[in-house]
Amino acid sequence: MNTMLGFLLIMKAEIIRGWIITRRYWFRTLTGLIIGYGMLMILIAGFFYSQPAIEKGINQLDDPTRATNYILGFIIGLFAFGVIGMFTQGIQGMAQTGVLEQLCMSPYGLVTNFLARAVVASVTTIFYSALMVYFVVISVGGKLYFDPLPVIVLLTLSFINLLGFGFMVGGLVLVFKQVGQLTIIVRMALFALAIFAREEFLQQGWLVSALMHALPITDASICLKYVLVKGQISETGQFMSVFLHPCFYWLCASCLIWTFIGISLFKIMENYSRYKGTLGIY
Amino acid sequence: MYRKEMNEDIQKYTVYLDKVSKTFHTSHFLYKDEETGKRSFIKKKEACAADKITFGIMPGEIMGLLGPNGAGKTTTVKMISGLVKPDSGTVYVDGMNVEKKRKQILSRIGVVLEGTRTSIWPLTPLENLYYYGNLRNIRGKVLKERARQLIDFIGLNDKKDVEVRKLSRGQKQKLAICIALIADPKIILLDEPTTGLDVQSSRSIKDKILELTRKHGRSVLVTTHDMHVAQELCDRIGIINKGKLITCKPTSELLELFSKQIFSLRLDRNLVDGDLDSLAPQVTLLQTDLTAEGPTITVQVPEPYRERSEALYSLLETLRKKKYQLRSIQQKQVNLEYVFLQLTGEKPVFDEMNSQEQE
Repeated sequence: MNTMLGFLLIMKAEIIRGWIITRRYWFRTLTGLIIGYGMLMILIAGFFYSQPAIEKGINQLDDPTRATNYILGFIIGLFAFGVIGMFTQGIQGMAQTGVLEQLCMSPYGLVTNFLARAVVASVTTIFYSALMVYFVVISVGGKLYFDPLPVIVLLTLSFINLLGFGFMVGGLVLVFKQVGQLTIIVRMALFALAIFAREEFLQQGWLVSALMHALPITDASICLKYVLVKGQISETGQFMSVFLHPCFYWLCASCLIWTFIGISLFKIMENYSRYKGTLGIY
Repeated sequence: MYRKEMNEDIQKYTVYLDKVSKTFHTSHFLYKDEETGKRSFIKKKEACAADKITFGIMPGEIMGLLGPNGAGKTTTVKMISGLVKPDSGTVYVDGMNVEKKRKQILSRIGVVLEGTRTSIWPLTPLENLYYYGNLRNIRGKVLKERARQLIDFIGLNDKKDVEVRKLSRGQKQKLAICIALIADPKIILLDEPTTGLDVQSSRSIKDKILELTRKHGRSVLVTTHDMHVAQELCDRIGIINKGKLITCKPTSELLELFSKQIFSLRLDRNLVDGDLDSLAPQVTLLQTDLTAEGPTITVQVPEPYRERSEALYSLLETLRKKKYQLRSIQQKQVNLEYVFLQLTGEKPVFDEMNSQEQE
């Protein structure tokens, strides 16, 4: 009960802080969105035109479904990049500004603090990402099938999954601050995986399949694309709810595992960082 | 018996450290020794930040922790606030073990660590206090009222709606103290609160610290390497060096420690080298000066009366034999800097400006 109250209080504080900063620096927020849109368009175009066969690339860009598939992948990738970055670069930054030690002085503990911060930050990211997806998809003439219930469930599960993974790397960053730099590679890998993740990946032997399922973004990305791009139409051409899709069950299992590993490791590492005295070191 | 005494101490003091030790172990990859130039793939080092430190802070007391850089002051503060775990020994706050009851203790402690960094710069001081208040479980009317009171108390009223990034270093430091006070803690830990501040800001912060203890009865631990701050502010001072607590005494008692031992003698002419070679072994010549009144020598003699008397007679006899005329002799009141250097084993420079003379 106390933890829940603390979680809500921290969320409230974070929402107010975020709102104040967005409002106070509105110009930066707005230009950020415009630049984001522009960058994404350039990335999409660059991605297609850099294909080995340029003609094929042009045809692909002209195929709105395929383009939408990649655009969505880009956005999911950005989301994953942001959530994990909040733990890695975020912790490094907070250690540098001294805020991390003040968070540790909160009676609710670091896990509750980071959970609340992540939820608020992700809601904001999802809002901006949704805007971005909408504008970019419209720009390339694509279409998204928006079914609210599966989308909300999938976004929540994807977020929990990434959160667990984020807690794991965040825990490592608490003790070994240099890990923060190395995790950029991991974040980039997840970003790429979100773009390219397809069901065909999972049919290339048990080892590849197991590895893909173990990564926190594969199933989330496949499921979200299945709902938003394919409109939950299976390969047989029949409607099949995403809740019956095998990747959905993998996603649920992955959520449980990553959350357990992430939070447990974060707590262990928090304890260890207090022993090593690395909380305020950057 | 020891257990019983210790329990009494734990109850008596707001903060009590019982034989607390901490050593940091670090590993350096591709290490190059600066002196020898020798390279090694991995070099393990250890630094002792606390070596069986034992002291307590009474309610309403300002305790100072004085020591050079890297002495272990900040680690001690962090161990009290639970940010660093001791290797051995126990820290008690309000009679509770910090490691076992950390959550309960956190609401009783306010910490300022490198204060200017603590606040969130895009927010105003008032918004910062609301933010940190929520983090410390203070909310609603209580939070608003307390935030305004603190801003008023610390003297940031005219800056309460200005973004922190636009504030001066002193104002940021004041805000950091307000943040530490937002949960109304009984214990305030201030790590170098006046470092880098101008005289006015430093004065203002010292006044507020005094007010916090004298009027509001809070216990304060101040770490500093500024002797003036410690001497002016602290009821009791602990001197720490290389993780060891060398002494922990009331400030007045600490200043008395060497005052009976330092004498200044004004002569009619400059001391010639070798003239004092035959001095009694217990007399140490600390310094020779040429002041406006004439040449002066400063000596240290042993503390016990009998030995001190003997040493002074021997010194006067030597001077008489060498035909020096003695113009005056004064016992000197030492300052904290002198005491500190003596206790940490550094060679003190007896500065006329920093000492007060006694008859």
